Amino acid sequence: MQFDRQIFWEALTSSTFAAGAALTIGLAVAAQAAGSILGLVVALLRGSSLPPVRWGAAAYVWLFRAVPTLLQLLFVWNALPQLIPSLRDPWFTPFLAAFLALSLNESAYMAEIIRSGLASVDRGQMLAGKTLGLRSDQIFRLITLPQMIRVIIPPTGNEFITLLKLTSLASVISLRELLTVTSQTVAVNFRFAELYAAATVWYLAIVSVFMVLQAQLEKRYQWSSRERDVRTMPVFARVAAGNR
Amino acid sequence: MSGSQPMIAASEITKHYGRLEVLKGVSLGVERGQVKVVVGPSGSGKSTLLRCLALLEPIESGSIVLDGEDVAWQARGGRGERSLVPFRSQLCMVFQHFNLFPHLTALENVMIGPVHVRGVDRKEARDEAMALLARVRLGDKAERYPHELSGGQQQRVAIARALALRPKVMLFDEPTSALDPELVREVIDVMEELARDGMTMIVVSHEMRFAHEAADAIVMMDEGRIIEEAPPDRFFRDPTHERTRRFLQLAEL
Ligand SMILES: Nc1ncnc2c1ncn2[C@@H]1O[C@H](COP(=O)(O)OP(=O)(O)OP(=O)(O)O)[C@@H](O)[C@H]1O
Ligand SMILES: [Mg+2]
Repeated sequence: MQFDRQIFWEALTSSTFAAGAALTIGLAVAAQAAGSILGLVVALLRGSSLPPVRWGAAAYVWLFRAVPTLLQLLFVWNALPQLIPSLRDPWFTPFLAAFLALSLNESAYMAEIIRSGLASVDRGQMLAGKTLGLRSDQIFRLITLPQMIRVIIPPTGNEFITLLKLTSLASVISLRELLTVTSQTVAVNFRFAELYAAATVWYLAIVSVFMVLQAQLEKRYQWSSRERDVRTMPVFARVAAGNR
Repeated sequence: MSGSQPMIAASEITKHYGRLEVLKGVSLGVERGQVKVVVGPSGSGKSTLLRCLALLEPIESGSIVLDGEDVAWQARGGRGERSLVPFRSQLCMVFQHFNLFPHLTALENVMIGPVHVRGVDRKEARDEAMALLARVRLGDKAERYPHELSGGQQQRVAIARALALRPKVMLFDEPTSALDPELVREVIDVMEELARDGMTMIVVSHEMRFAHEAADAIVMMDEGRIIEEAPPDRFFRDPTHERTRRFLQLAEL
Protein backbone atom coordinates (compact mmCIF):
# COMPACT_ATOMS: atom_id res chain seq x y z
CA MET A 1 0.00 0.00 0.00
CA GLN A 2 1.53 3.30 -1.13
CA PHE A 3 1.38 6.56 0.85
CA ASP A 4 -1.81 8.13 -0.45
CA ARG A 5 -1.30 11.90 -0.57
CA GLN A 6 -4.97 12.41 -1.22
CA ILE A 7 -5.95 10.70 2.05
CA PHE A 8 -3.19 12.52 3.92
CA TRP A 9 -4.33 15.88 2.60
CA GLU A 10 -8.00 15.24 3.28
CA ALA A 11 -7.28 14.20 6.86
CA LEU A 12 -4.99 17.15 7.43
CA THR A 13 -7.60 19.65 6.26
CA SER A 14 -10.60 17.82 7.71
CA SER A 15 -12.80 19.55 10.23
CA THR A 16 -12.41 16.51 12.50
CA PHE A 17 -8.66 17.03 12.76
CA ALA A 18 -9.06 20.78 13.11
CA ALA A 19 -11.54 20.29 15.95
CA GLY A 20 -9.18 17.79 17.60
CA ALA A 21 -6.31 20.26 17.31
CA ALA A 22 -8.47 23.05 18.73
CA LEU A 23 -9.35 20.86 21.71
CA THR A 24 -5.67 20.03 22.21
CA ILE A 25 -4.70 23.71 22.16
CA GLY A 26 -7.62 24.70 24.39
CA LEU A 27 -6.83 22.03 26.94
CA ALA A 28 -3.11 22.83 26.98
CA VAL A 29 -3.60 26.60 27.26
CA ALA A 30 -6.23 26.25 29.99
CA ALA A 31 -4.15 23.75 31.99
CA GLN A 32 -1.01 25.86 31.58
CA ALA A 33 -2.83 28.99 32.79
CA ALA A 34 -4.46 27.27 35.76
CA GLY A 35 -1.25 25.37 36.54
CA SER A 36 0.77 28.59 36.50
CA ILE A 37 -1.56 30.41 38.88
CA LEU A 38 -1.79 27.42 41.20
CA GLY A 39 1.98 26.96 40.89
CA LEU A 40 2.54 30.57 41.93
CA VAL A 41 0.39 30.03 45.02
CA VAL A 42 2.27 26.84 45.90
CA ALA A 43 5.63 28.56 45.31
CA LEU A 44 4.62 31.41 47.63
CA LEU A 45 3.42 28.94 50.27
CA ARG A 46 6.79 27.18 50.05
CA GLY A 47 8.35 30.45 51.21
CA SER A 48 5.94 30.82 54.12
CA SER A 49 7.28 31.57 57.58
CA LEU A 50 5.03 28.85 59.05
CA PRO A 51 6.79 25.46 58.84
CA PRO A 52 3.61 23.34 58.44
CA VAL A 53 2.54 25.48 55.46
CA ARG A 54 5.99 25.05 53.89
CA TRP A 55 5.87 21.29 54.43
CA GLY A 56 2.36 21.04 53.00
CA ALA A 57 3.42 22.85 49.85
CA ALA A 58 6.52 20.68 49.50
CA ALA A 59 4.42 17.54 49.93
CA TYR A 60 2.06 18.77 47.21
CA VAL A 61 4.93 19.20 44.76
CA TRP A 62 6.35 15.82 45.74
CA LEU A 63 3.03 14.03 45.22
CA PHE A 64 2.11 15.47 41.84
CA ARG A 65 5.59 15.07 40.44
CA ALA A 66 6.02 11.50 41.68
CA VAL A 67 2.77 10.00 40.37
CA PRO A 68 2.63 9.33 36.60
CA THR A 69 0.47 11.82 34.75
CA LEU A 70 -1.53 9.02 33.15
CA LEU A 71 -2.37 7.60 36.57
CA GLN A 72 -3.46 11.07 37.77
CA LEU A 73 -5.70 11.37 34.75
CA LEU A 74 -7.27 7.96 35.28
CA PHE A 75 -7.68 8.73 38.97
CA VAL A 76 -9.54 11.96 38.30
CA TRP A 77 -11.75 10.38 35.64
CA ASN A 78 -12.49 7.00 37.24
CA ALA A 79 -11.73 7.14 40.95
CA LEU A 80 -12.94 10.62 41.85
CA PRO A 81 -16.56 9.96 40.75
CA GLN A 82 -16.48 6.80 42.84
CA LEU A 83 -15.55 8.91 45.88
CA ILE A 84 -17.63 11.99 45.06
CA PRO A 85 -21.08 11.00 43.73
CA SER A 86 -21.87 14.41 42.20
CA LEU A 87 -19.01 13.88 39.73
CA ARG A 88 -21.02 11.05 38.13
CA ASP A 89 -23.34 13.63 36.61
CA PRO A 90 -22.97 14.46 32.92
CA TRP A 91 -21.45 17.90 33.58
CA PHE A 92 -18.20 16.20 34.60
CA THR A 93 -16.95 15.79 31.03
CA PRO A 94 -13.69 14.23 29.85
CA PHE A 95 -12.50 17.76 29.09
CA LEU A 96 -13.06 18.90 32.68
CA ALA A 97 -11.40 15.77 34.04
CA ALA A 98 -8.39 16.19 31.77
CA PHE A 99 -8.21 19.91 32.61
CA LEU A 100 -8.28 19.17 36.34
CA ALA A 101 -5.67 16.41 36.20
CA LEU A 102 -3.29 18.27 33.89
CA SER A 103 -3.63 21.55 35.85
CA LEU A 104 -2.77 19.86 39.13
CA ASN A 105 0.12 18.03 37.53
CA GLU A 106 1.40 21.15 35.81
CA SER A 107 1.10 23.27 38.95
CA ALA A 108 3.67 21.10 40.73
CA TYR A 109 6.22 21.67 37.99
CA MET A 110 5.37 25.38 37.68
CA ALA A 111 5.75 25.77 41.46
CA GLU A 112 9.36 24.66 41.17
CA ILE A 113 10.05 26.90 38.19
CA ILE A 114 8.43 29.90 39.87
CA ARG A 115 10.22 29.22 43.14
CA SER A 116 13.59 29.40 41.43
CA GLY A 117 12.40 32.45 39.48
CA LEU A 118 11.48 34.24 42.69
CA ALA A 119 14.80 33.28 44.27
CA SER A 120 16.65 34.77 41.30
CA VAL A 121 15.34 38.28 41.98
CA ASP A 122 18.05 40.22 43.82
CA ARG A 123 17.27 40.96 47.46
CA GLY A 124 18.35 44.55 46.87
CA GLN A 125 15.31 45.01 44.64
CA MET A 126 13.01 44.45 47.57
CA LEU A 127 15.04 46.78 49.79
CA ALA A 128 14.84 49.48 47.13
CA GLY A 129 11.09 49.00 46.86
CA LYS A 130 10.73 49.21 50.61
CA THR A 131 12.79 52.35 51.01
CA LEU A 132 10.61 54.07 48.41
CA GLY A 133 7.65 53.34 50.68
CA LEU A 134 5.98 50.73 48.48
CA ARG A 135 3.71 48.25 50.24
CA SER A 136 4.68 44.58 50.02
CA ASP A 137 1.86 43.82 47.56
CA GLN A 138 3.09 46.67 45.34
CA ILE A 139 6.66 45.40 45.56
CA PHE A 140 5.47 41.97 44.46
CA ARG A 141 3.34 43.25 41.57
CA LEU A 142 5.56 46.06 40.28
CA ILE A 143 9.04 44.73 40.97
CA THR A 144 9.29 41.03 41.78
CA LEU A 145 6.70 39.66 39.34
CA PRO A 146 8.03 41.16 36.08
CA GLN A 147 11.60 40.17 36.96
CA MET A 148 10.47 36.68 37.87
CA ILE A 149 8.49 36.32 34.62
CA ARG A 150 11.55 37.11 32.53
CA VAL A 151 13.45 34.27 34.19
CA ILE A 152 10.68 31.69 33.89
CA ILE A 153 9.71 32.24 30.24
CA PRO A 154 12.17 29.68 28.76
CA PRO A 155 11.45 26.84 31.23
CA THR A 156 7.73 27.61 31.03
CA GLY A 157 7.91 27.34 27.24
CA ASN A 158 9.41 23.89 27.69
CA GLU A 159 6.68 22.95 30.12
CA PHE A 160 4.01 24.11 27.74
CA ILE A 161 5.34 22.00 24.87
CA THR A 162 5.45 18.99 27.18
CA LEU A 163 1.93 19.74 28.31
CA LEU A 164 0.72 20.06 24.74
CA LYS A 165 1.85 16.50 24.12
CA LEU A 166 0.56 15.25 27.46
CA THR A 167 -2.94 16.22 26.32
CA SER A 168 -2.76 13.14 24.08
CA LEU A 169 -3.01 11.04 27.24
CA ALA A 170 -6.60 12.19 27.40
CA SER A 171 -7.32 9.78 24.55
CA VAL A 172 -7.60 7.07 27.25
CA ILE A 173 -10.64 8.86 28.67
CA SER A 174 -11.98 9.36 25.15
CA LEU A 175 -11.57 13.12 25.00
CA ARG A 176 -11.71 13.91 21.28
CA GLU A 177 -8.36 15.71 21.11
CA LEU A 178 -5.95 15.41 18.20
CA LEU A 179 -4.56 11.94 18.92
CA THR A 180 -8.00 10.50 19.73
CA VAL A 181 -9.50 11.63 16.44
CA THR A 182 -6.44 10.26 14.64
CA SER A 183 -6.82 6.84 16.28
CA GLN A 184 -10.54 6.79 15.66
CA THR A 185 -10.04 7.60 11.98
CA VAL A 186 -7.33 4.97 11.69
CA ALA A 187 -9.70 2.40 13.19
CA VAL A 188 -12.04 3.05 10.27
CA ASN A 189 -9.69 3.05 7.26
CA PHE A 190 -6.39 1.61 8.54
CA ARG A 191 -4.37 4.36 6.77
CA PHE A 192 -1.77 4.58 9.56
CA ALA A 193 0.97 6.42 7.68
CA GLU A 194 -1.26 9.09 6.17
CA LEU A 195 -3.18 9.84 9.37
CA TYR A 196 -0.19 9.76 11.71
CA ALA A 197 1.56 12.08 9.27
CA ALA A 198 -1.42 14.45 9.34
CA ALA A 199 -1.39 14.45 13.17
CA THR A 200 2.36 15.06 13.15
CA VAL A 201 1.96 18.09 10.91
CA TRP A 202 -0.70 19.48 13.23
CA TYR A 203 1.50 19.05 16.33
CA LEU A 204 4.45 20.61 14.50
CA ALA A 205 2.35 23.56 13.42
CA ILE A 206 0.95 24.14 16.91
CA VAL A 207 4.34 23.94 18.59
CA SER A 208 5.86 26.25 15.97
CA VAL A 209 3.25 28.91 16.54
CA PHE A 210 3.85 28.84 20.28
CA MET A 211 7.59 28.97 19.78
CA VAL A 212 7.16 32.18 17.80
CA LEU A 213 4.95 33.61 20.55
CA GLN A 214 7.56 32.66 23.14
CA ALA A 215 10.32 34.34 21.15
CA GLN A 216 8.24 37.53 20.98
CA LEU A 217 7.58 37.40 24.69
CA GLU A 218 11.27 36.94 25.42
CA LYS A 219 12.06 39.90 23.22
CA ARG A 220 9.52 41.96 25.11
CA TYR A 221 11.32 41.08 28.31
CA GLN A 222 14.73 42.15 27.00
CA TRP A 223 14.27 45.55 28.69
CA SER A 224 16.30 47.28 26.09
CA SER A 225 15.46 50.69 24.68
CA ARG A 226 15.54 49.27 21.14
CA GLU A 227 12.73 46.81 21.94
CA ARG A 228 10.10 49.21 23.12
CA ASP A 229 7.49 48.52 20.46
CA VAL A 230 4.62 47.67 22.74
CA ARG A 231 1.91 47.59 20.09
CA THR A 232 2.79 44.14 18.77
CA MET A 233 2.62 42.53 22.18
CA PRO A 234 -0.25 40.67 23.81
CA VAL A 235 -2.06 42.66 26.46
CA PHE A 236 -1.28 40.20 29.26
CA ALA A 237 2.45 40.66 28.67
CA ARG A 238 2.11 44.42 28.84
CA VAL A 239 0.21 44.17 32.11
CA ALA A 240 2.76 41.78 33.59
CA ALA A 241 5.63 44.01 32.52
CA GLY A 242 4.42 46.83 34.70
CA ASN A 243 1.28 48.11 33.02
CA ARG A 244 2.74 50.63 30.67
CA MET B 1 12.06 78.17 64.31
CA SER B 2 14.77 76.81 66.54
CA GLY B 3 17.74 75.31 64.74
CA SER B 4 18.27 72.79 67.47
CA GLN B 5 15.14 70.74 66.73
CA PRO B 6 16.63 67.75 64.91
CA MET B 7 15.09 66.49 61.68
CA ILE B 8 16.03 63.00 62.69
CA ALA B 9 17.23 61.81 66.07
CA ALA B 10 18.19 58.28 66.94
CA SER B 11 18.89 57.53 70.53
CA GLU B 12 20.39 54.49 72.17
CA ILE B 13 19.62 52.15 69.29
CA THR B 14 20.56 48.52 69.79
CA LYS B 15 20.47 45.77 67.21
CA HIS B 16 21.55 42.11 67.17
CA TYR B 17 22.00 39.62 64.37
CA GLY B 18 21.56 36.38 66.21
CA ARG B 19 24.08 36.60 69.05
CA LEU B 20 26.17 39.26 67.35
CA GLU B 21 25.54 42.69 68.85
CA VAL B 22 25.97 45.06 65.89
CA LEU B 23 24.67 48.33 67.35
CA LYS B 24 25.39 48.84 71.03
CA GLY B 25 23.42 51.96 71.84
CA VAL B 26 23.92 54.41 69.00
CA SER B 27 22.68 57.99 69.28
CA LEU B 28 22.82 60.33 66.33
CA GLY B 29 20.95 63.54 65.58
CA VAL B 30 20.86 65.54 62.38
CA GLU B 31 19.33 68.99 62.20
CA ARG B 32 17.27 70.24 59.31
CA GLY B 33 19.53 70.83 56.32
CA GLN B 34 22.56 69.35 58.01
CA VAL B 35 24.85 66.75 56.49
CA LYS B 36 26.61 64.16 58.60
CA VAL B 37 29.20 61.81 57.20
CA VAL B 38 29.72 58.47 58.92
CA VAL B 39 33.09 56.74 58.72
CA GLY B 40 34.53 53.67 60.41
CA PRO B 41 36.17 50.33 59.80
CA SER B 42 34.47 47.51 57.93
CA GLY B 43 32.00 45.68 60.11
CA SER B 44 31.59 48.54 62.57
CA GLY B 45 27.84 48.68 61.85
CA LYS B 46 27.53 51.66 59.48
CA SER B 47 25.24 49.95 56.99
CA THR B 48 23.20 48.38 59.73
CA LEU B 49 22.70 51.79 61.34
CA LEU B 50 21.46 53.24 58.04
CA ARG B 51 19.09 50.32 57.42
CA CYS B 52 17.63 50.78 60.90
CA LEU B 53 17.24 54.52 60.38
CA ALA B 54 15.61 53.84 57.00
CA LEU B 55 13.10 51.60 58.80
CA LEU B 56 14.23 48.63 56.74
CA GLU B 57 15.11 46.61 59.83
CA PRO B 58 13.64 46.47 63.32
CA ILE B 59 15.66 47.61 66.31
CA GLU B 60 15.61 46.00 69.74
CA SER B 61 15.64 49.12 71.85
CA GLY B 62 16.05 52.84 71.54
CA SER B 63 14.06 55.35 69.53
CA ILE B 64 14.07 57.03 66.15
CA VAL B 65 12.30 60.37 65.99
CA LEU B 66 11.65 61.85 62.57
CA ASP B 67 10.61 65.48 62.55
CA GLY B 68 9.08 65.16 66.01
CA GLU B 69 7.39 61.81 65.44
CA ASP B 70 8.53 58.47 66.86
CA VAL B 71 8.84 56.16 63.88
CA ALA B 72 11.13 53.36 65.07
CA TRP B 73 10.38 49.84 63.96
CA GLN B 74 10.63 47.87 67.18
CA ALA B 75 11.37 44.16 67.04
CA ARG B 76 8.97 43.64 69.96
CA GLY B 77 6.02 45.83 70.79
CA GLY B 78 5.66 49.35 69.46
CA ARG B 79 5.00 49.98 65.79
CA GLY B 80 4.63 47.03 63.48
CA GLU B 81 6.10 47.04 59.99
CA ARG B 82 2.82 47.78 58.26
CA SER B 83 2.15 51.01 60.12
CA LEU B 84 5.57 52.45 59.35
CA VAL B 85 5.51 51.87 55.58
CA PRO B 86 4.27 55.44 54.99
CA PHE B 87 7.31 56.83 56.84
CA ARG B 88 9.83 54.95 54.75
CA SER B 89 9.52 57.29 51.80
CA GLN B 90 10.45 60.20 54.07
CA LEU B 91 13.72 58.47 54.93
CA CYS B 92 14.84 57.38 51.52
CA MET B 93 17.99 55.33 51.17
CA VAL B 94 20.49 55.26 48.30
CA PHE B 95 22.44 52.01 48.03
CA GLN B 96 26.00 51.10 47.22
CA HIS B 97 24.87 48.97 44.27
CA PHE B 98 22.15 51.42 43.11
CA ASN B 99 19.41 48.74 43.09
CA LEU B 100 17.62 50.33 40.15
CA PHE B 101 14.70 48.32 38.78
CA PRO B 102 16.12 46.64 35.66
CA HIS B 103 12.75 46.24 33.92
CA LEU B 104 11.95 49.95 34.05
CA THR B 105 13.54 52.82 32.14
CA ALA B 106 15.34 55.58 34.02
CA LEU B 107 12.18 57.68 33.73
CA GLU B 108 9.93 54.87 34.99
CA ASN B 109 12.31 54.21 37.88
CA VAL B 110 11.94 57.83 38.96
CA MET B 111 8.17 57.83 38.35
CA ILE B 112 7.42 54.77 40.46
CA GLY B 113 7.48 56.67 43.75
CA PRO B 114 5.27 59.58 42.73
CA VAL B 115 2.75 57.31 40.97
CA HIS B 116 2.50 54.42 43.40
CA VAL B 117 3.43 55.98 46.73
CA ARG B 118 2.44 59.64 46.50
CA GLY B 119 -0.52 58.98 44.22
CA VAL B 120 0.36 61.66 41.66
CA ASP B 121 -1.24 61.16 38.24
CA ARG B 122 1.02 59.81 35.53
CA LYS B 123 1.36 62.93 33.45
CA GLU B 124 2.33 65.10 36.37
CA ALA B 125 4.66 62.37 37.68
CA ARG B 126 6.30 62.23 34.28
CA ASP B 127 6.99 65.96 34.24
CA GLU B 128 8.32 65.81 37.77
CA ALA B 129 10.55 62.85 36.94
CA MET B 130 11.89 64.57 33.81
CA ALA B 131 12.77 67.63 35.89
CA LEU B 132 14.57 65.47 38.45
CA LEU B 133 16.50 63.62 35.75
CA ALA B 134 17.54 66.98 34.34
CA ARG B 135 18.63 68.01 37.81
CA VAL B 136 21.00 65.03 38.01
CA ARG B 137 22.04 65.85 34.43
CA LEU B 138 20.44 62.80 32.82
CA GLY B 139 17.63 64.47 30.90
CA ASP B 140 18.81 62.77 27.71
CA LYS B 141 18.84 59.28 29.21
CA ALA B 142 15.21 59.09 30.33
CA GLU B 143 14.28 56.26 27.96
CA ARG B 144 17.32 54.14 28.76
CA TYR B 145 17.19 50.99 30.83
CA PRO B 146 19.59 50.66 33.80
CA HIS B 147 21.90 48.16 32.07
CA GLU B 148 22.36 50.69 29.29
CA LEU B 149 23.79 53.27 31.71
CA SER B 150 27.20 53.60 33.36
CA GLY B 151 27.51 53.06 37.11
CA GLY B 152 27.72 56.79 37.75
CA GLN B 153 24.61 57.41 35.68
CA GLN B 154 22.75 54.58 37.42
CA GLN B 155 23.58 56.04 40.82
CA ARG B 156 22.34 59.46 39.72
CA VAL B 157 19.06 57.89 38.55
CA ALA B 158 18.83 56.23 41.97
CA ILE B 159 19.29 59.62 43.62
CA ALA B 160 16.56 61.12 41.41
CA ARG B 161 14.30 58.17 42.23
CA ALA B 162 14.75 58.86 45.94
CA LEU B 163 14.29 62.62 45.48
CA ALA B 164 10.98 62.01 43.71
CA LEU B 165 9.49 60.99 47.05
CA ARG B 166 10.40 64.39 48.52
CA PRO B 167 12.06 62.75 51.53
CA LYS B 168 12.80 64.65 54.70
CA VAL B 169 16.09 62.82 55.11
CA MET B 170 18.27 61.04 52.58
CA LEU B 171 20.51 58.19 53.68
CA PHE B 172 23.47 57.21 51.49
CA ASP B 173 25.34 53.94 52.04
CA GLU B 174 28.73 54.18 50.32
CA PRO B 175 27.14 55.60 47.17
CA THR B 176 30.39 55.78 45.22
CA SER B 177 32.33 52.77 46.41
CA ALA B 178 31.06 50.50 43.61
CA LEU B 179 32.05 53.03 40.96
CA ASP B 180 35.12 53.28 38.76
CA PRO B 181 37.27 56.19 40.03
CA GLU B 182 36.48 58.42 37.05
CA LEU B 183 32.73 58.14 37.73
CA VAL B 184 32.88 59.07 41.41
CA ARG B 185 33.03 62.80 40.72
CA GLU B 186 29.72 63.08 38.87
CA VAL B 187 27.87 61.44 41.75
CA ILE B 188 29.65 63.49 44.41
CA ASP B 189 28.83 66.67 42.47
CA VAL B 190 25.13 65.84 42.59
CA MET B 191 25.31 65.06 46.30
CA GLU B 192 27.11 68.33 47.05
CA GLU B 193 24.44 70.18 45.15
CA LEU B 194 21.75 68.47 47.24
CA ALA B 195 23.61 69.47 50.40
CA ARG B 196 23.79 73.10 49.22
CA ASP B 197 20.07 73.02 48.45
CA GLY B 198 19.39 72.17 52.08
CA MET B 199 18.71 68.43 52.00
CA THR B 200 19.18 66.70 55.36
CA MET B 201 21.61 63.87 54.74
CA ILE B 202 23.39 61.04 56.50
CA VAL B 203 26.17 59.70 54.30
CA VAL B 204 28.34 56.68 54.91
CA SER B 205 31.32 57.46 52.73
CA HIS B 206 35.06 57.64 52.73
CA GLU B 207 35.11 60.27 49.99
CA MET B 208 37.37 62.96 51.41
CA ARG B 209 36.31 65.74 49.13
CA PHE B 210 32.66 65.31 49.99
CA ALA B 211 33.39 65.11 53.71
CA HIS B 212 35.37 68.33 53.59
CA GLU B 213 33.08 70.31 51.31
CA ALA B 214 29.63 69.20 52.41
CA ALA B 215 29.70 67.71 55.88
CA ASP B 216 28.71 69.66 58.97
CA ALA B 217 30.12 66.87 61.10
CA ILE B 218 31.98 63.60 60.73
CA VAL B 219 30.90 60.69 62.87
CA MET B 220 33.28 57.87 63.69
CA MET B 221 31.82 54.41 64.32
CA ASP B 222 33.69 51.52 65.83
CA GLU B 223 32.38 48.16 66.99
CA GLY B 224 28.76 49.23 67.07
CA ARG B 225 29.28 52.55 68.82
CA ILE B 226 29.79 56.15 67.83
CA ILE B 227 33.10 57.04 69.42
CA GLU B 228 33.65 60.51 68.09
CA GLU B 229 31.81 63.32 66.34
CA ALA B 230 33.39 66.56 65.17
CA PRO B 231 33.34 69.14 62.35
CA PRO B 232 35.49 67.98 59.41
CA ASP B 233 38.62 70.11 59.95
CA ARG B 234 38.89 69.22 63.59
CA PHE B 235 38.01 65.58 62.93
CA PHE B 236 40.76 65.13 60.38
CA ARG B 237 43.34 67.49 61.93
CA ASP B 238 42.98 66.73 65.58
CA PRO B 239 40.85 63.69 66.47
CA THR B 240 40.52 63.14 70.19
CA HIS B 241 40.13 59.40 70.11
CA GLU B 242 43.10 57.12 69.67
CA ARG B 243 41.08 54.68 67.54
CA THR B 244 40.03 57.48 65.22
CA ARG B 245 43.66 58.47 64.79
CA ARG B 246 44.64 54.92 63.92
CA PHE B 247 41.70 54.55 61.56
CA LEU B 248 42.57 57.77 59.74
CA GLN B 249 46.17 56.65 59.37
CA LEU B 250 45.24 53.18 58.08
CA ALA B 251 42.54 54.48 55.76
CA GLU B 252 44.86 57.27 54.63
CA LEU B 253 42.05 59.77 54.89
N1 LIG C 1 21.81 40.55 57.64
C1 LIG C 1 22.81 40.26 58.48
N2 LIG C 1 22.82 39.09 59.16
C2 LIG C 1 23.82 38.77 60.00
N3 LIG C 1 24.86 39.56 60.27
C3 LIG C 1 24.92 40.76 59.64
C4 LIG C 1 23.90 41.16 58.72
N4 LIG C 1 24.23 42.38 58.23
C5 LIG C 1 25.39 42.72 58.83
N5 LIG C 1 25.82 41.76 59.69
C6 LIG C 1 27.01 41.81 60.53
O1 LIG C 1 26.94 42.99 61.28
C7 LIG C 1 28.20 43.62 61.40
C8 LIG C 1 28.11 45.05 60.89
O2 LIG C 1 27.87 45.01 59.49
P1 LIG C 1 27.64 46.32 58.63
O3 LIG C 1 27.36 45.88 57.24
O4 LIG C 1 26.66 47.19 59.30
O5 LIG C 1 29.09 46.98 58.73
P2 LIG C 1 29.66 48.21 57.90
O6 LIG C 1 30.23 49.15 58.91
O7 LIG C 1 28.66 48.75 56.96
O8 LIG C 1 30.86 47.52 57.10
P3 LIG C 1 31.39 47.85 55.61
O9 LIG C 1 32.29 49.03 55.74
O10 LIG C 1 32.16 46.60 55.27
O11 LIG C 1 30.22 48.06 54.73
C9 LIG C 1 29.17 42.75 60.62
O12 LIG C 1 29.85 41.92 61.54
C10 LIG C 1 28.28 41.93 59.73
O13 LIG C 1 28.86 40.69 59.47
MG1 LIG D 1 28.45 48.79 54.84
